[in-house]
Amino acid sequence: MHKSTQLKFAIAPTLALVAGIVTAAPVKIAVLETLSGPQASTGLLYRTAVKYAIDQMNAAGGWNGEPVQLVDYDNQGGPSGASDKLKAAIADGVQIVVQGASSAVGGQITEDVRKHNLRNPSKEIVYINVGAEALELTGEKCNFHHFRFGGNAQVRTKALVDAMKQANVLGSKVYSINQNYSWGQDMEHAISDNAAAGGYKVVEKALHDVNKIQDFAPYVAKIKASNADTVLTGNWSNDLLLLMKATRAAGLKVRFGTVYLDQPGNVANAGEVAVGHYVVQSFNPEASGAEGERFVTDYKAKTGHMPAFIEPQTVFGMQMVADALKRTKPEAGALNVNAFAKALEAAKVKTSVGEMSMRAADHQALLPMIVSTVTKDAKYKVDATDMGFKPVKRFTAEEAATPVQSSCVMKRPA
Amino acid sequence: MVAMCGKGSSSRTFWNKLMEFFTVSLLNGTIYGLLLFMVSAGLTLIFGMMGVLNFAHTSFYMIGAYLAYSLQKVIGFWPAIIIAPIIVGFLGVIVERFFLRRVHKYGHAHELLVTFGLSFIIAELIKLFFGNYPVNYQVPSSLNFAAFQLFGTDYPFYRLMMGVISLLMFGLIFLLLSRTRVGIVVRSAIYRPKMAEALGHNVPLVFMGVFGVGAGLAGLAGAVAGAFYTTNPNMALELGVLVFVVVVIGGLGSLEGAMVSSILIGLISSFAVGIDLSAADVLGYVGAGEWAQQVGGLLTLKISSLAATIPFALMLLVLLVRPSGLMGEKE
Amino acid sequence: MTTMNNSLDKPVAAPVLAAKPAGAPMLAKILLAALLLLLLAMPGFLSTSLVNAAIQMLIMALFASAFNVLAGQGGMLSFGHAAYFGIGAFATLHAMNAVSGQGLLPTPLLPVFGAIGGAITGLVAGWFSSKRSGVYFSMITLALAELLHALAPHLKSVFGGESGVPSMRMPAWGFTFGTPVEVYYLTLAWVVASLALLFFFTRTPLGRLTLGLRENAHRLKFLGYNVHMARVMVFVISATFTGIAGGLLAMSNEAANYSVFEVRLSSEVVLNSYIGGVGVFFGPALGAAVMTFFGYAVSDLTRSWLLYQGIIFVAVMMFMPNGLSGIVAWWRASKFTGATKLGYVLAWSVGTLLCAAGVVFIVELLQRMLSDDYQFQLVQGQPWPALNLFGQAWLPGAVVTWLLPVALLAIGGVVLKLTSARWQALNDGEAQ
Repeated sequence: MHKSTQLKFAIAPTLALVAGIVTAAPVKIAVLETLSGPQASTGLLYRTAVKYAIDQMNAAGGWNGEPVQLVDYDNQGGPSGASDKLKAAIADGVQIVVQGASSAVGGQITEDVRKHNLRNPSKEIVYINVGAEALELTGEKCNFHHFRFGGNAQVRTKALVDAMKQANVLGSKVYSINQNYSWGQDMEHAISDNAAAGGYKVVEKALHDVNKIQDFAPYVAKIKASNADTVLTGNWSNDLLLLMKATRAAGLKVRFGTVYLDQPGNVANAGEVAVGHYVVQSFNPEASGAEGERFVTDYKAKTGHMPAFIEPQTVFGMQMVADALKRTKPEAGALNVNAFAKALEAAKVKTSVGEMSMRAADHQALLPMIVSTVTKDAKYKVDATDMGFKPVKRFTAEEAATPVQSSCVMKRPA
Repeated sequence: MVAMCGKGSSSRTFWNKLMEFFTVSLLNGTIYGLLLFMVSAGLTLIFGMMGVLNFAHTSFYMIGAYLAYSLQKVIGFWPAIIIAPIIVGFLGVIVERFFLRRVHKYGHAHELLVTFGLSFIIAELIKLFFGNYPVNYQVPSSLNFAAFQLFGTDYPFYRLMMGVISLLMFGLIFLLLSRTRVGIVVRSAIYRPKMAEALGHNVPLVFMGVFGVGAGLAGLAGAVAGAFYTTNPNMALELGVLVFVVVVIGGLGSLEGAMVSSILIGLISSFAVGIDLSAADVLGYVGAGEWAQQVGGLLTLKISSLAATIPFALMLLVLLVRPSGLMGEKE
Repeated sequence: MTTMNNSLDKPVAAPVLAAKPAGAPMLAKILLAALLLLLLAMPGFLSTSLVNAAIQMLIMALFASAFNVLAGQGGMLSFGHAAYFGIGAFATLHAMNAVSGQGLLPTPLLPVFGAIGGAITGLVAGWFSSKRSGVYFSMITLALAELLHALAPHLKSVFGGESGVPSMRMPAWGFTFGTPVEVYYLTLAWVVASLALLFFFTRTPLGRLTLGLRENAHRLKFLGYNVHMARVMVFVISATFTGIAGGLLAMSNEAANYSVFEVRLSSEVVLNSYIGGVGVFFGPALGAAVMTFFGYAVSDLTRSWLLYQGIIFVAVMMFMPNGLSGIVAWWRASKFTGATKLGYVLAWSVGTLLCAAGVVFIVELLQRMLSDDYQFQLVQGQPWPALNLFGQAWLPGAVVTWLLPVALLAIGGVVLKLTSARWQALNDGEAQ
């Protein structure tokens, strides 16, 4: 071959390489949350956890030699605002969208992501769901570009019932009370589905309006009339707090099995009422060994508080994202989202509470669960009180997992 | 409750359970209604006097709770719930004097919108200073005991205390308005402000005073109820629309009406929760149950799930049939 | 008790029907044409996120204008207008999903179902609400909207539960409607057409009658008009165009859920309309555009944007009761030279900006100082660490940190007071 042709053949790839390095596009990760207004408290927690994880990612070198960029978007409280801000994020070049605080918003985002990817075949984006736990997101609405790193009603209830049964506090009569929307209804189904395994009978089911009831005394009267031993509920925020306070005020001795008792402020506000009740968590510092202690100390140093509630599962989810990013090679300097998604399907991370992996069939992560009880002799106190969550039983990811829903028919890209 | 009917229990147990349900719901509903009265008393007086629908009223309720929470750490519970309403009343006076009076000449719509904007500002300021989460405002242990036992369930003393405070409030205001000189001036300012002014009374001062007292009452309700229920930045929104429902049903401007409608709403909310019937079930008694189940939608909704919706339906009914409310003046 | 009948009816200024008095129609027409050209050309030079923002602004502008037919022109303040907006959205979504997703009509024509949904709901709601007037009317509309909001989550087949009713825009007439720019032009076409229709409505006899309903319904009754039917018709017209706005939102977002019935949306349209000024036809549209853009832009810059929104609202209500469009009327009504007026406007603007800067500074300082993360860093006995604001570090212990905003507020306040006093003196001097 001619020398000049040889040179040409050498220059072209060199230029491409240089161009690739020069035009390296840093990966933009967006947090699309409720950051203001009445529901802001949870949204802000998600943001803190995601920021912590991304700082960790960047301390380990970022992606493709560039730090990963975190961009905030405030969905102004609802699915419609989320839709607007998603469009803004796409216009800003974001490729990965993280959200968790609301199943309604999650439902909107997953559909919008699906439609965008359909219309823009080489400019896909992916939705990292770190907390929206409605079943349909990995059921009828399952979507190749959606990944869920939180639990769901089935997973949570299965673990809760198993642990409470083993600790002999479940009894034979269970009262199911939940909020009347998708999450609450999912929980009601799950509580009924687990009746055989738990050896109990659901004596009554109640669904009430979300965040509208101030006076739970009538519900407490119903619980008493049913002679239930245990109350299982997926209630959060005020609905859980007021229910527990009303039960205590009536002097009714029932055990509570909950999903969201560890929401910041609940234990402080409930006071002594909280002792003896159960909660199913995705993380408990007392059950996570030395590695967990390091995580907790580091988190507290960087953010000012211990990781609680939904923060640990968010951090672990983002660690899986980091793992997948590491295994995704840049193409022309930018991130190929489909390649990233395929890498994420195979991601595995060893967290301080056990191994966490992603299930490719419905993109539901398999994560360990821990059932804890509120006591005064827990190692880590919460909410500046003298109470904390003491782990009662740990479940590995496989033990906690529930089967893939038959309604999920995932369309995979070629 | 309906489930109990079908359990084949003896009729004596059935009557026992019915009595229990009835008595407990009656007591719960009345106390809840009295709490609603505490908050809505001020609103109805303010509306009756100034024609202003004060959207910031439940914000005063919230401020009362937060102030009591902050003060009780320093000066104890009882001084806190006396001083907090006084401060809130003072705030109400400031709002009237510096905000409402300025926009008074532009019409009622503007006054209403200013109070609306103020409610936003107050909610955001509370979030700024106290954070987004509920604060740890608890009933003090000295008051946290059971007053008596009702069918085997404890009835907390604090709830009864709230009801008593509410009744005292009603009695005091009623006597004030009907038996004292000040009360007569206030009532005439409500009824005929221009005439009262022409007779030499300082009507703007009366307006300011009533607004302040109204706000103070809401603050007292917040200080007392915030310990029993939760104290969080969304308190105002949670109670917000229900208070308007109470005031409208009772009659805008009528204190007695507010009392009657609060208790009515309280009772309805309490009783409704225990009734697991739906329209389909009732139709089932006349044989149309299957059809109703098929139609679905509204007919299969249980009354207990709709407990929080019923007050609105009632408000609509009252507005259409008798808009001046149960005890308001005929339009 | 004072009579409640018309207590909520009168806006502040004398009714200026379309901000275009007989004297200057040419100027107004030129401005309007220029605005239209600008709107048509916008996607060419705006980024995609701004185009998205523009779509939202257009929808809210139509919503506010439709609302104003009832509130500003008809004098009936409705607190539940989100109901018709939401019904319009859901009607359009169901129409989009019909015929296995193909849609009952080609995509660009679908908002007509929003209009139909709005009209029917408006007829029923209006018939009941218009039986009363004043505050009772407002309360009925509020009750209806709240009832719908409370029932909607239970009616899953119609409103789809909390993930709502999803849908997808189908290609039609050679366009895919897959890009924001296409959606923008579709929205623009509908909004311009609707606003034109609403404007021509004000020119019709019924439109004129609407003003009469506001001013003196009693007299209308004596003139022989059926006041109740007139009210219902105005209500229906308002609800129809509100439904179109809802339909446009449904087409833009391709989904809606029952949170669209919230009191928040009803109150937003009231806020937007009054900030813009209800006495003028384009006032509410202006207010909606400004406030929507404000929310869009500022909500990502600061956590306290709701506080700023509340402050802006109260300030406008108190100091500019005619709203933003009232400036135009004020300019025209005042007899001083353009230069003088401009001078005063500039002085007021400077004063307001200084005050605003001071307030923003203090609020942002407080927000950072009182946040949990900062409070945790405090150690007993040691000076408080610096706060990061506007790219600079400020020490809470330093006097300068607090002196600066207070100074800004003070200077701004002084400027405003002096300007107002001089304006007052100028006017009094003229009057003599």
